[in-house]
Amino acid sequence: MANVSGKAYALTCLCPIRKGQLDGIAYSDEVRYRLHNWGLLEQSPMAKVPQTYLCRYFVLNDVYYESLPGTEFGGTFFDFLSIFSDRFRRKALPKEDHLKSKYLVFSCNLHGDLDTYLRGMWQAISADIQTIWGFCYGFEKVNDADSFIAYIKKCQLNASLFFNGSNDDPLPEQLKALYVKQEFSRFAEQHQGMSAAQLQQAYQAFIQRIEPDNLARPSWQPGQTSLQLGG
Amino acid sequence: MQKELDLLDLQGNIVRAYGRYNFPYARYVFLNIRDGKRGRDFVAAVTREVTTAAKWGDGPDDLKKPLSTVNIALNYPGLKELELPRASLIGFPMEFVMGMKKRKDILGDDGRSAPAHWDPIWRDSRETDRYKDVHIWISINGQAMENVQQRYEWLQQLVTQSAGGVAILSGHRGDDGADQLPFQDVHAVFENGQPTSKEHFGYTDGIGDPVFAGLPGKAERVIGRGKLLKNGRWEPLETGEFILGHRDEANEYPVAPMPQLLSRNGTFMVYRKLHENVGSFNAFLEKEGQKYPGGKELLAAKFVGRWRDNGAPLVSAPDAPSKAAWDQKFSAADPAQRDRMLAEFTFENDMDGAKCPFSAHLRRINPRAALQFQANAFETPTALANRRRVMRRGLPYGEVKDASRDDGNHGIVIMMLNASISRQFEFVQQQWINYGNDFKAGNDKEIILGNHSETLPSRAVLAVAADSDQAPYFLSNIPRMVETRGGDYFFIPSMTALRMIAKGLVDPT
Repeated sequence: MANVSGKAYALTCLCPIRKGQLDGIAYSDEVRYRLHNWGLLEQSPMAKVPQTYLCRYFVLNDVYYESLPGTEFGGTFFDFLSIFSDRFRRKALPKEDHLKSKYLVFSCNLHGDLDTYLRGMWQAISADIQTIWGFCYGFEKVNDADSFIAYIKKCQLNASLFFNGSNDDPLPEQLKALYVKQEFSRFAEQHQGMSAAQLQQAYQAFIQRIEPDNLARPSWQPGQTSLQLGG
Repeated sequence: MQKELDLLDLQGNIVRAYGRYNFPYARYVFLNIRDGKRGRDFVAAVTREVTTAAKWGDGPDDLKKPLSTVNIALNYPGLKELELPRASLIGFPMEFVMGMKKRKDILGDDGRSAPAHWDPIWRDSRETDRYKDVHIWISINGQAMENVQQRYEWLQQLVTQSAGGVAILSGHRGDDGADQLPFQDVHAVFENGQPTSKEHFGYTDGIGDPVFAGLPGKAERVIGRGKLLKNGRWEPLETGEFILGHRDEANEYPVAPMPQLLSRNGTFMVYRKLHENVGSFNAFLEKEGQKYPGGKELLAAKFVGRWRDNGAPLVSAPDAPSKAAWDQKFSAADPAQRDRMLAEFTFENDMDGAKCPFSAHLRRINPRAALQFQANAFETPTALANRRRVMRRGLPYGEVKDASRDDGNHGIVIMMLNASISRQFEFVQQQWINYGNDFKAGNDKEIILGNHSETLPSRAVLAVAADSDQAPYFLSNIPRMVETRGGDYFFIPSMTALRMIAKGLVDPT
């Protein structure tokens, strides 16, 4: 499966959580608790990580047993095998699988290449990373951006989980585009019915104010999901 | 084969909008059940007088049209108090179990529509005091007010006879804002002594009510009200979109509780009291109407998609000259032709919203084929609308004494009937009324019903044709014109189910 779509990258990684407890609370529950205490949207530490389109964290406790196929050919076929012996029939049934440990799942859509992104992530929020990943197997060896990149890549799953709703442009460009769209519709709303000369004048002032070529500001903030009152 | 419904088993309010059958007055009464057994006896006594969907006539074997009608519905706590078996209760859909108040985030009941501002009966229901919980809805429709009053007195007698089994709840606001009325009165808006189908903003209501298989009425009413096929013909929607126990548009039975006798021929009803901010509406229309190039009345039509005077659809009469021609044809037409002129249209010749805006009321609540942005995208042109249709019942309440003020007692009690409250009513409210993305209208809300906010002002675009020299018109700072004042989700049982519930004989095994 392709992790790359244009300049967008889909990262999925499963990091095993150690068995053990902190003051009687399982490490996995502690990780979940700490994640719950992260802010959402603009308040999330992930809003500080450059080029994050969208991301999701969760703790995966186990997988569920995949039951027998209903009455399709396969199902009746298994029953058929009991003619020979029950042991034979059981062996043919789907296996019951379980995970060897619980996992911290980090799924993220980003712009650009993975190494640059993870390096930026470590530089922006290394303290937050350590509070969340601190209970994972092998994470004690992570102490800088390079070891973090290596660790995440080791845990990476080759799954192309792309979120809809964004293209592959750099995040600052997408945020600026959303800002310009919002401000332009507000401009159209507020200046309808003006004479051409007035409109042109107002438009020039508008362009000066919104600075379409300046990606840094004014713009939307990372994590922002809804319209806000313009300044 | 023509679908035939068991009309003697269906309650009459499901198939008849009584206001259109010369019952311009109604009273809605809500009761609290205080004892299961006596509550069931009360339901049995009411059931004997419940108006069914059976045809009325003057022949010797016909059922005569009554002077007043009676219908009854129960919400989830009501069914519990009547001691329905647990195995039946767990079969009801989650949104019905939760009730309207707890669905406020989905419905956009925020700001002045928030439950804290609802009429006391709704504000206090399903909170801490179980004696204030609404359990039963009873509606009385009358040909005259005195017919309503007589039925109400009969109902009061039954309540007395229940010996404390049930009690009528008060807490409806009336003309005096602090009123604690024991019922909600509604009545048609009268003009020159004649009842009209208008509400307090001056629009005609309920023209496009859906037509489904088995619904009594003239076959040609399906045009513009049923579903549009690829060959351009209209067909009735599947019965199961509106009545439980019948096949729906997905060829499935709607989700419904067991046993089948409990749910079949019943349906779900959303009761919603909506206050109309007449002052804000008029001021906004006046202010924008002075600037809008097409003038005030065309602007009023743009809000809704129909002209206020006779309901002419904007798609057929988009401007003053075409409206004049439409009017002339309409005045010469016979009643059947008139009905067709009002109902028969799609948005096929208006895909850019230049005639009927994307945020207009009727385009949002029933988009017809308008969501098929590319020809032949779906199996039927109306595919995305067919599973979101809702039957609308109800009448306006109060009177507008000062058209420049918001705070009088005026609005509409609307009851929406559908097989799935979450898929139909709630979806339309959340996605199509309070949000506009499906219509390529971004965050824009439906103009009249949208929960417009003061902090993040609403906008609507009145588009013009792509090749037009005119500029589109932007409505900005749209005020909240309609506010929720309360309501809940109810189940309208069939006659069979009512009798089983009353006898305590519901057996889900």
